[in-house]
Amino acid sequence: MFPFIYEFRWTPAHLIFLGLFFSVVVVIASTVGVALLRMLKAFRTQKVEAIQWEAEFEDLPVAARVCRHQLAGEVAQRTCHHDFDCRSCEMHPTFLAKYAPALAPAAVTEALYGFSMPLDRYYHRGHTWVKPEGNGIYTIGLDDFGAQMVGAPDRIVLPPVGTTLTANGTGWKVAKERATLRVLAPIDGVVVETGTREQGWYLKVRGSEQERDLRHLLRGSEVKPWVMRELERLQIALSPAGVGTSLADGGELMPEMWKQAPQKDWDGVWGEMFLQA
Amino acid sequence: MDQQFIPRGLQRTSFERFLVWVLPWVLMLGIGLYAIYQCLADGLYHTNMDNRFAFGLWIYLDLTVIALGAGAFFTGFLLYILRRDELKAVINSAVVLGLICYSGAVAVLMVDVGQPLRAWFTFWHPNTHSMLTEVTFCLTCYLTVLVIEYLPVILKNRKLRQIPRFLVFEFELHKVMPVFAGVGTFLSFFHQGSLGGLYGVLVGRPFAFREVLGIWPSTFYLFILSAAAAGPSFVLVTTWLVQKISRKRLVQPGVFTYLGKVSGSMLMVYVLLKAVDTLYWINHTAPLEGAAAYAFYTSQSFGSWILFTEIVLLGLVPAVVLLTKRLREIPAVLVSAAFLTCCGIMLNRFVMTIQTLALPTLPFDLLMSYFPSWQEVATFLAVVAYGVILYSLSFRYMTLFPQERDIRQ
Repeated sequence: MFPFIYEFRWTPAHLIFLGLFFSVVVVIASTVGVALLRMLKAFRTQKVEAIQWEAEFEDLPVAARVCRHQLAGEVAQRTCHHDFDCRSCEMHPTFLAKYAPALAPAAVTEALYGFSMPLDRYYHRGHTWVKPEGNGIYTIGLDDFGAQMVGAPDRIVLPPVGTTLTANGTGWKVAKERATLRVLAPIDGVVVETGTREQGWYLKVRGSEQERDLRHLLRGSEVKPWVMRELERLQIALSPAGVGTSLADGGELMPEMWKQAPQKDWDGVWGEMFLQA
Repeated sequence: MDQQFIPRGLQRTSFERFLVWVLPWVLMLGIGLYAIYQCLADGLYHTNMDNRFAFGLWIYLDLTVIALGAGAFFTGFLLYILRRDELKAVINSAVVLGLICYSGAVAVLMVDVGQPLRAWFTFWHPNTHSMLTEVTFCLTCYLTVLVIEYLPVILKNRKLRQIPRFLVFEFELHKVMPVFAGVGTFLSFFHQGSLGGLYGVLVGRPFAFREVLGIWPSTFYLFILSAAAAGPSFVLVTTWLVQKISRKRLVQPGVFTYLGKVSGSMLMVYVLLKAVDTLYWINHTAPLEGAAAYAFYTSQSFGSWILFTEIVLLGLVPAVVLLTKRLREIPAVLVSAAFLTCCGIMLNRFVMTIQTLALPTLPFDLLMSYFPSWQEVATFLAVVAYGVILYSLSFRYMTLFPQERDIRQ
């Protein structure tokens, strides 16, 4: 194998054979090495949250990745390939030029299938809402759909004041039964205040410059079709094996719905609805 | 009980039922491990092989599973190098199948060669004139590549991906996967070929001996082509089988037909070249070796029917079926044709090992007979059991078929 080993021959056949073998070994080892170095770099440059979302998004089922413009009926079929960040979507401005949904005045609330969804704020596909408070401050909370799905949490782990949030990274964590849910942050920013479930909001953040426009968040007339789609997804997630969608249409979610089917894999159901693959 | 380890959005049978399914295979594996222990501790006299009949059930198993496991490299090549994205639906399953086939083959080879503690001698003092040295090097490297390709599948497990280091490493590893697909293709080309290249030096066995074409014997190319034809068919058949056993739709029908088409195309090329090679051997190589080709087909056990079955019934027929769009779109016909393709390659490897050694080589020789001992059979079955167990665990706890979740929704 090496010149210092008994029976090594300085012949072309020997050298070509071993040369190829060592080349393959070097390629394999260096490729794994590159992956390891990139991993370390991601931790060093704090890109872990962004990578985590990219990986999660890629593994989400197509039904969870439907483009907001399909939900709104503006296009027959379109799957999002931009990790739900419409700011980087080349088609989003074209759709907005035709029809741009807007926020409603304060206190206009859409009651949808038992959910209270005020239309004076923006919604993230991971069931959080964002309300601009002026001076670059945004209030963030869990929307009614998300709140009713989880019910009363056992524990909430909020990021401490001063934490920098990344859009689609971890906003906060909710512990319920044996499951721990990662609620996605809807915008980039720095946490300036934390709230409670009773207050109806969880975080106040100072948004980054990029957040002055919140193009990636749903608003106004987009909310209703999105909630309808989320209900469908919930029905499928709850349906028993081989049965398909079976929850009665037209009903409303029961409070603490997990108690109705405690044997269900609720970590799986919640994870699916909160966009975790 | 183990629900939290099952991928989100997928439904699997209860843990108790899963245990009932796995238990018989564990038992079979246990018996096989005992047989392996006997062979390694006491020696190969536990087998029915001898110095004259040195290619037994194990070498047959090695050649067969390595050919069937080619689905991993060929699917990877089509997906990552030729960008056939429809194969994303089966790539994870193909990698697991490849890993099972290659690790099983290496394990059996260790028992067959004996003295596994001295396996490193092969690398430290390589005989570079031996085709089998090349096979050993390529197999070891490719098995390493398969383990690396299997890593992202494991790291995507619902619980493991919650560990940020695993998630990010999997993400980065996935990005460099085309490099591994390329290396895998390179290695597979050489070790599949070298297994066939062996017949270029079997001068004393005119039934199997083939003349050099370029720098390798014709069987070098035929082994590569046959493996590339059988691999996608094996992936197709196993996917269909898993669908039936789990009673779930795992991939879109288009994936099946695409695999069938790829397999059919490769099989047709292989069958044509195999026919040319056989004709050349009958009319040129065998007479040159002082043997009449028809003499090899006079025994009752290995009549000319075996040649007809291999080339026509299990070669040409499935190739035509797989290449005919109308037939390919009938699921039962498609799966049957893919199954026949796998059987054809299995028969070819049987002919090239067992039949080759059984046939007399000298005028006064008789047809030799060989029947494997229970230890050989148990070792063979242990590889099957190991494969079923590893595949079952992977199917239960990992996402082998990414389309399964979409199909459910």
